[in-house]
Amino acid sequence: MDKYRIMVIDDEKIVCDMAKMSLEQEGYEVETFLNAEPALKRLAEQKFDIVVTDYKMKGIDGMEVLRTVRKLYPETRVIMITAFANLDAAIEALRSDVHDFFPKPVKIKELKASIQRALEEENR
Amino acid sequence: MKIENNIILSNVFNIALILLVGFFALQNLNVMLTKLRFVEIADDLNASFLEMRISEKNYFLYGDEAALFEIRDKINNTMESIEAVKNDISRAIGEGNLEKLRDYLKRYSIAVEEMRRSGTRDIQMETMLRAAGRKLREFSEETTRLEKRKVNEIIANSKKVLFYSFWAIVAMAIVVSHFISQKILRSLREIEKLAKSISQGNFSGVRGAVPADEFGTVMNAINTMSEELKTREEELIQSKKLASLGVLTAGVAHELTNPLNNISMIAQNFVEYHDFLNRENRIELMKKVEGEAERIQEIVRNLLDFSKPKEANLREADINDTVQKSLALMQNTLDISNIETSLSLRPGLPHVFIDDHQIQQVLVNLILNAVHAMSPGGTLYLSTEAGENGDTVRIDVRDTGKGIPPEFISHIFDPFFTTKGVGGTGLGLSVSYGIVKNHGGYVKVESTVGSGTTFTIELPVYRGKEAGNGQI
Repeated sequence: MDKYRIMVIDDEKIVCDMAKMSLEQEGYEVETFLNAEPALKRLAEQKFDIVVTDYKMKGIDGMEVLRTVRKLYPETRVIMITAFANLDAAIEALRSDVHDFFPKPVKIKELKASIQRALEEENR
Repeated sequence: MKIENNIILSNVFNIALILLVGFFALQNLNVMLTKLRFVEIADDLNASFLEMRISEKNYFLYGDEAALFEIRDKINNTMESIEAVKNDISRAIGEGNLEKLRDYLKRYSIAVEEMRRSGTRDIQMETMLRAAGRKLREFSEETTRLEKRKVNEIIANSKKVLFYSFWAIVAMAIVVSHFISQKILRSLREIEKLAKSISQGNFSGVRGAVPADEFGTVMNAINTMSEELKTREEELIQSKKLASLGVLTAGVAHELTNPLNNISMIAQNFVEYHDFLNRENRIELMKKVEGEAERIQEIVRNLLDFSKPKEANLREADINDTVQKSLALMQNTLDISNIETSLSLRPGLPHVFIDDHQIQQVLVNLILNAVHAMSPGGTLYLSTEAGENGDTVRIDVRDTGKGIPPEFISHIFDPFFTTKGVGGTGLGLSVSYGIVKNHGGYVKVESTVGSGTTFTIELPVYRGKEAGNGQI
């Protein structure tokens, strides 16, 4: 069976690098993007199992990525990361069917556990 | 000299003049009284002398021996009355003339006595008697006339002196009051100018020497006051800055989250995969940590920089840098509020002479106001360009917010005027206004309710040190 594909979108390069490093160790195929536009283009040509996206980004922001992904690729689960511990944003994300919502600083183990759960649900 | 002293001096002078004139008049009056007293006595004497001459005539005409006795008695009476009032007479005509009078009287008396004793009518003796009598009368009348003339002269003199001294006092009073009122007006004008310049926010006080009079005291008081105002304004600027710092801190806290998250993630991976990482990987990761720590340091430094109280420190600066620094401070606040920013900075603008921190404070205030005026999704337009006549540089801070009602426009720069309810101190714009004014520039506002507000700052272009763009 193919590796699970995970996309990470965050305008902080270190977040992309660290997520990639850690998730690849878990055996996932990881692609990272510093902004949403090329990421959405990539999604059109390649199916991803999980999209981890930052909430606040220049241009297309995390909420728009969430809505687009859920609409166009309903099998792909979205995990949102945000620097703003913002209740409104969390509620809005939940309404748009986000899989999980992490405030920064991110606990990588929790993120990995959350990805694990999402994949298990997908396989059920 | 103090104005009070001037007035006292002129009063003292006038009083002295009046006393002098009064003394002179009194003196004249005394002399006049003496003379008049003499004239009165002399009139009596003249009457007596006339009677003597009449008796003398009777003697010569009718050979009446008794007439000689009459003359003798009259001479004795007259001598007695002269002796009784000799003090008055000598005061009026002098001791010499009194002696002369006595002498003439004595000679007349001797002539009468000889005539009576001889009992004969000797022509020579008769001539002597007549001559003595005539001389006596003539002297007496002459003296009287002289004294009368002197009285008239004294009256005329007094009149003249009183007349001139009256005009002298009047002229003196006019000159002195004119001088004093000119001095007062001049000082008042000076003070008026000073008060105006203070009301325009120029707290430099009186330059140069302060007069040593009452107005000098007032000017010193105003100087103290304006120094006090300057201190208060600095305190106000600082307190306002601390107030906006509260808002900034919220933004900065978020700004810190990203580098902290990065460090945290690096650390988590470092611990988790330590054994898989080679030496280069580890060094690379720690360098990234260091970079993120510097990023945090930079944010903290900016914040500290902004909050520190500072003496106004004018430097030549590029306004675009200042606008960018201000925007950087506010970026997170803008992000949180979901406000888009449109920046349009004209390159190559002439430099300005500003206190960078104070102008940053003004821009932060204006941006903050813009953010508060807008709902999420609004756009903040920041632009710089050259002023219309090239003497100024212009900064526009435009928002797409709710706008300011026309009835508030004229009040928005007033201290403590706020439309934000309990949330606002009403000091932000007034402090900003003061800062820009201190820079020799001005702030104006245009607003349309429902479509947005534009604040425009114009700052004078820096023309080099010799032009002296003023001190704060």
